[in-house]
Amino acid sequence: MIRINSLHKMFDEQPVLHGVDLEINEGETLVIIGRSGCGKSVLLKHMIGILRPDSGEVFIDGQNISRLKGNDFVRLRMKFGMLFQGAALFDSLNVYENVGFALIEHTNLKEAEIRERVRRALESVDLAHIEQKKPAELSGGMKKRVGLARAICNNPRIILYDEPTTGLDPIMADMINELIIRLHRQLRVTSVVVTHDMTSAYKVATRIAMLYEGKIVAQGTPDEIKNTKDPVVRQFITGAAHGPITDSGNNRREEYRNIGGEK
Amino acid sequence: MPGYSSVLKTKATTFVTYVGGITLLLLRTVAGMFSPPFKRKQLVEQMSKTGVDSFAIVFLTAFFAGIVLAFQTAYTMRKMSAEIYIASLVGLSMTRELGPVFTALVVAARVGASITAEVGTMQVTEQIDALETLAINPIKYLVVPRFLALCLMLPILTIYADFVGILGGFIVGVSKLHISPHLYIRKTFDALVYKDIFSGLLKAVIFAAIISIVACYEGMRTRGGAEGVGRSTTLSVVISCILVIASDCLFTALFYFMF
Repeated sequence: MIRINSLHKMFDEQPVLHGVDLEINEGETLVIIGRSGCGKSVLLKHMIGILRPDSGEVFIDGQNISRLKGNDFVRLRMKFGMLFQGAALFDSLNVYENVGFALIEHTNLKEAEIRERVRRALESVDLAHIEQKKPAELSGGMKKRVGLARAICNNPRIILYDEPTTGLDPIMADMINELIIRLHRQLRVTSVVVTHDMTSAYKVATRIAMLYEGKIVAQGTPDEIKNTKDPVVRQFITGAAHGPITDSGNNRREEYRNIGGEK
Repeated sequence: MPGYSSVLKTKATTFVTYVGGITLLLLRTVAGMFSPPFKRKQLVEQMSKTGVDSFAIVFLTAFFAGIVLAFQTAYTMRKMSAEIYIASLVGLSMTRELGPVFTALVVAARVGASITAEVGTMQVTEQIDALETLAINPIKYLVVPRFLALCLMLPILTIYADFVGILGGFIVGVSKLHISPHLYIRKTFDALVYKDIFSGLLKAVIFAAIISIVACYEGMRTRGGAEGVGRSTTLSVVISCILVIASDCLFTALFYFMF
């Protein structure tokens, strides 16, 4: 289970996360939605310990991630797999070396065994016979799938997805959504997906949380979020140009909230 | 408008943060060098990229530097009919000063820029974050092999530059100033003592540390896409070159009083 308590983070004196409280249960797929630049990826990077909080805590299976060091931290990291927005494949390595990276670096497995694990991971994301290709030779969708194969190759218990469908055509985006659902069922992992693509969010989520002004302002099942009366969430999920998110001023927002509450 | 004191304070904070960041990266890199696992394959790869691939450009620079040095010395020495000392002067200048400095400047421009561009691109495309998610220490994986490779290869390149520079002077001395080849070689090596060569090599190791750490630091703090990579690369070369010349000045003075 992942538990985040009162997480604060600033960059260049600009607050990005402003007291995030969130719990992610084992085996669920939580989708975090929010506008571009609202801090969703920053939140994800705190969960895996790439970023350290200014204040607040992140607990993974009861362990405070900020206090872990050395081998304990490495062991914790090995529980995670992460798919990056741009796949973040290592340019200088081929697909085999990318996907098997964690196994090559951290285990004493024989090359034949690593090759077999890489082959199975690629098969899980519907790719085959591309082990010798370099990332530059792959299409956007293939890069994402190779990134996903890398994320699952060392059998993680938690998979983090940072904007998995951004930059893909609708068909490929839906294929990635299907993959997320399939991997979640097959591997029985906890998944955290960060996205602003509501089609993707409704499809893959067991629960949705919305990040707004550095805080989680709403959370619930996809149906609860779809039918919410909160004007901030409503504006985001309907994609309206006008509403409390875009119209400045706290009074105006309060006004919207009151209208939403009366409905 | 911010006052002078606040601008000064911001500049001072930026400077202290930069120096602190570089120092911390250097300490972590040195610590990383002694902690397993040791990646021999990556080290050899980097030695080839930073060292072997630089031989051609170092040859050209050192060769022309040797020729120019011989001609310029001849211009003065001829007035005193002391052309024979050109050999000693070229030999000493190349080994003590020009060999290490020219090689370092060429390597800062060629290798330092390439390291910053590579690491910077990895930073902006989240490849360094990806390394961390795979439980790999980016300093150990990216900085240590580059640092070690350059510290090993720059002294070798410097020795090579010393020889090539002396060769350039030799060609001028023998073909244009009509000094006998045997005499030129004897005069070159008569003037040289071990400390001349070693002080040059010690400088080369210091320059290698400066170039690799500045290049990696600038790469790792790159922000803002392709424009950011370009900015970091330029900064890396400029800062490395200034630090190479500044440290050369410092160590030349130090060696003068020590030896």
